Amino acid sequence: MPSRQYATFEVADQLFGVDVAQVQEVLRFHEYTRVPLAPTSVGGLFNLRGQVIDAVDLRVQLGLPARDLSVPAMNVIVSVDDEWVSLLVDRIGEVIELDDEAFEPPPDTLAGAYRHLIIGTFKLEDRLMLALDARRAADTTVPVPAQHADEARMARSA
Amino acid sequence: MDELDDIIQEFLVESHENLDQLDRDLVALEQDPGSREMLSSIFRTIHTIKGTSGFLAFHRLETLTHAGESLLSRLRDGAQRMNPASADALLAMVDTVRTLLGSIEESGGEGDVDVEPVIAMVAACIEDPAAPAPARAAAPASKAETKAETVESVEAVEAVEPAAPEKPADPPAAKAAKSAPARAAKGPAAGADETAGQNTKRGIADSSIRVDVDLLDTLMRLVGELVLTRNQIVRGVSEISDPALVRTTQRLNLITSELQESVMKTRMQPIDHIWSKLPRVVRDLSGAMGKKVKLAMEGKETELDRSLLEAVKDPLTHLVRNAVDHGIETAAERVAKGKDPEGTLTLRAAHEGGHVIVEIKDDGAGIDVDRVAQTALDRGVVTRDQLSRMDTREIIALVFRAGFSTAKKVTNVSGRGVGMDVVKTNIEQIGGAVDVDSTLGAGTTWRLTIPLTLAIIQALTVECGAERYAIPQVGVDELVFVDGQSGQTIEHVSGAPVYRLRGKLLPLVRLDETLGLPVRNSDRDVYIAVLQADGRRFGLVVDRVLNTEEIVVKPLSGRMKDVGVYAGSTIVGDGKVALILDIPSLARRAHLAAETIERAQVDQADARPRDSHIERLLIAGIGERRVAIPLDMVTRLEEFPVQRIERVGSREVVQYRDHILPVIRLASLLGCYDVEEGETVPAVVYTERGRSVALVVQQIVDIVEDHIESRSDLDDDGLTGSAVIQQRVTELLDVRRAILAADPRFYAEMSESMVGA
Repeated sequence: MPSRQYATFEVADQLFGVDVAQVQEVLRFHEYTRVPLAPTSVGGLFNLRGQVIDAVDLRVQLGLPARDLSVPAMNVIVSVDDEWVSLLVDRIGEVIELDDEAFEPPPDTLAGAYRHLIIGTFKLEDRLMLALDARRAADTTVPVPAQHADEARMARSA
Repeated sequence: MDELDDIIQEFLVESHENLDQLDRDLVALEQDPGSREMLSSIFRTIHTIKGTSGFLAFHRLETLTHAGESLLSRLRDGAQRMNPASADALLAMVDTVRTLLGSIEESGGEGDVDVEPVIAMVAACIEDPAAPAPARAAAPASKAETKAETVESVEAVEAVEPAAPEKPADPPAAKAAKSAPARAAKGPAAGADETAGQNTKRGIADSSIRVDVDLLDTLMRLVGELVLTRNQIVRGVSEISDPALVRTTQRLNLITSELQESVMKTRMQPIDHIWSKLPRVVRDLSGAMGKKVKLAMEGKETELDRSLLEAVKDPLTHLVRNAVDHGIETAAERVAKGKDPEGTLTLRAAHEGGHVIVEIKDDGAGIDVDRVAQTALDRGVVTRDQLSRMDTREIIALVFRAGFSTAKKVTNVSGRGVGMDVVKTNIEQIGGAVDVDSTLGAGTTWRLTIPLTLAIIQALTVECGAERYAIPQVGVDELVFVDGQSGQTIEHVSGAPVYRLRGKLLPLVRLDETLGLPVRNSDRDVYIAVLQADGRRFGLVVDRVLNTEEIVVKPLSGRMKDVGVYAGSTIVGDGKVALILDIPSLARRAHLAAETIERAQVDQADARPRDSHIERLLIAGIGERRVAIPLDMVTRLEEFPVQRIERVGSREVVQYRDHILPVIRLASLLGCYDVEEGETVPAVVYTERGRSVALVVQQIVDIVEDHIESRSDLDDDGLTGSAVIQQRVTELLDVRRAILAADPRFYAEMSESMVGA
């Protein structure tokens, strides 16, 4: 049965996953350089072994308040269009292997930013994992769709 | 002769490369005889060699390649098909070309290489007797004869191959195609080895290689990383006092610098690459305009990064054309002025403090400041008020503004109002700067300051709101520390911050405010970086100035570029990322902000009665009276020691910045009795078109922005009326009339001096 490996992480208690092939590395970092006037979803820049990496705040991308970057944050560094981008997340999970069969398209009830950023859902034993579209998640030029708090809740319970 | 040698060298290098490619192409062509594309490519190569050899007077080479070309053109046009015989003939031709090139390289001449047999062989392959016959017409070859001819020809090839180490026994025709190229590959190589053994001189083809620019870019990037790491180590080691480590670090420092320099050199090309086309440009242009222009070049060998060279090419050409078109006068005009009828245009390039300076200097008419001012007014580039505050240099710099051109008539060369602003934009885009200096009647000098490379720049690092920013050094004029202790402050003119820099008002841009950071409350103990962009000077207010260092510019990702105020990012000594500020964008952004303020004011004013208007006024006290001077008229505020005011005839003057400044005492002008003076007197310096006058007042009270409602007309000399400002009746000074009242010749002399200069 065809299956795929996902690197998982949590943002606002929701489990997300991206295809492991897209993930370059995962690291905890704390010295971000703020970029004034940039969209709020740009958390900052940091130096990864001589390379300047943009850190995109997934919380903002999901329509939530921005992360406090004065404390160390977890970075999931993904490769999007030959460029490395860091996605700032709350917690890192395991790498899990999932059967394509467990995949379902996003539920119709899912709205706003979540719907924009995810490809589909995977039913795990005890919870759901949302498969993230890394390219869209890293795209800060698209304004985050309006999202109400209850919609966000709905997305989490979806 | 040197130049010719250079051309021959280049020709040899290029031809060697082309021939290697030809060998491969010809063999490949045999597999795919119908490939028009490949035939065209081969044809072009041979054609190039033929053309150049004709130009360099290598006649045998020319005749030989001409023969090859004839055959190739038939093959290319489909007049006949490629067959083994033609391939052999062509390969033989390539070999002979190679032999000839070898001889040229060694002795500078074609030596005694015999080309006739190969020419005959190639001619034999041409199936159509009507075709233009090569040097010596050969009997048309029938298909039956082809084979025999080939054998003969192969022997002929051998005969002309002096470098061939051994002569094999007559090979069967079938083998010929294989062995000929094999030997061809061996022949020149053996020759080269011999040469190397004899006098250790490397052959031209061996002493230089072509390298992919991408590879050089990668090298450059890696060296950039190394520079950063070096900076970090140097910083770290300075905190530890281990002599051995310090020594090693110094060595690392040195090696890194040398490596950086060497790698940068690989990308360097002499500026002559772009200059070499200019003599022709100047010749044609001056000829077309009936002018005589001598072009002098100094510092041709000055090198700069190839990408920069490319970027400088167009601006430079434009400046040269402009100098010939507008700068240098016609021979008749020059003679009338007592100049040499032949004008001189001098290009000068030199390295100077980490930059390359390129000067374009002409001894022509110079820039007429008056006309520039008038044109700028006519075209709406500046307002009269703005103009009145400008000094000569600033007025000349107006030529860089968009939509400006002083050409009396539009010529097909320049003068369409596009150009100087484009020149400026292009040069600023690569982190450079353009300056112009001109003396009416004596000539104009344009000065380009270009960074050596794009990847590593000198930058000033500053701190603002707990973050560090880098400012490219090229735009930084000076640094000012606003010392709260000594009472220096930042002042505000209708909400816009300004600083009195040596008496002149410098508009300020607060970095924190512009970047939307929390704005600090205190204006004390801040630094002002005086910057130059888009022909404007402004001060950037930052919290702290850290240092100047070489930084490696990292390109921004798309999402950061959109922000618009950053030119890139860099990694500073402690490993943190710092953003590089884009000064022109910052200036534009700040300018935009200023416009917004003005617009807001206009809106406010619109809401009020029509007849009132807003003015920024400098309030001066004279005895008990208050006089308001429009701030637009004021260029500087000075304090002069009383004893420095001297008398010349009936007038008072003061020596000021190498000039004699007429002094006008407003008190006596307005009929006040001189109130007692301190040791110094405050003065308002008013400048118009390079001429200044000092208006001595008793006291400078304030700068206010007022919206004047109650105003009464006065008939006093030098006053336009009075108004209530800050609950006090204040007289409004008409500066021009005041000056005229005190010194009727001020404007007269000024116009004289404009004419006479």
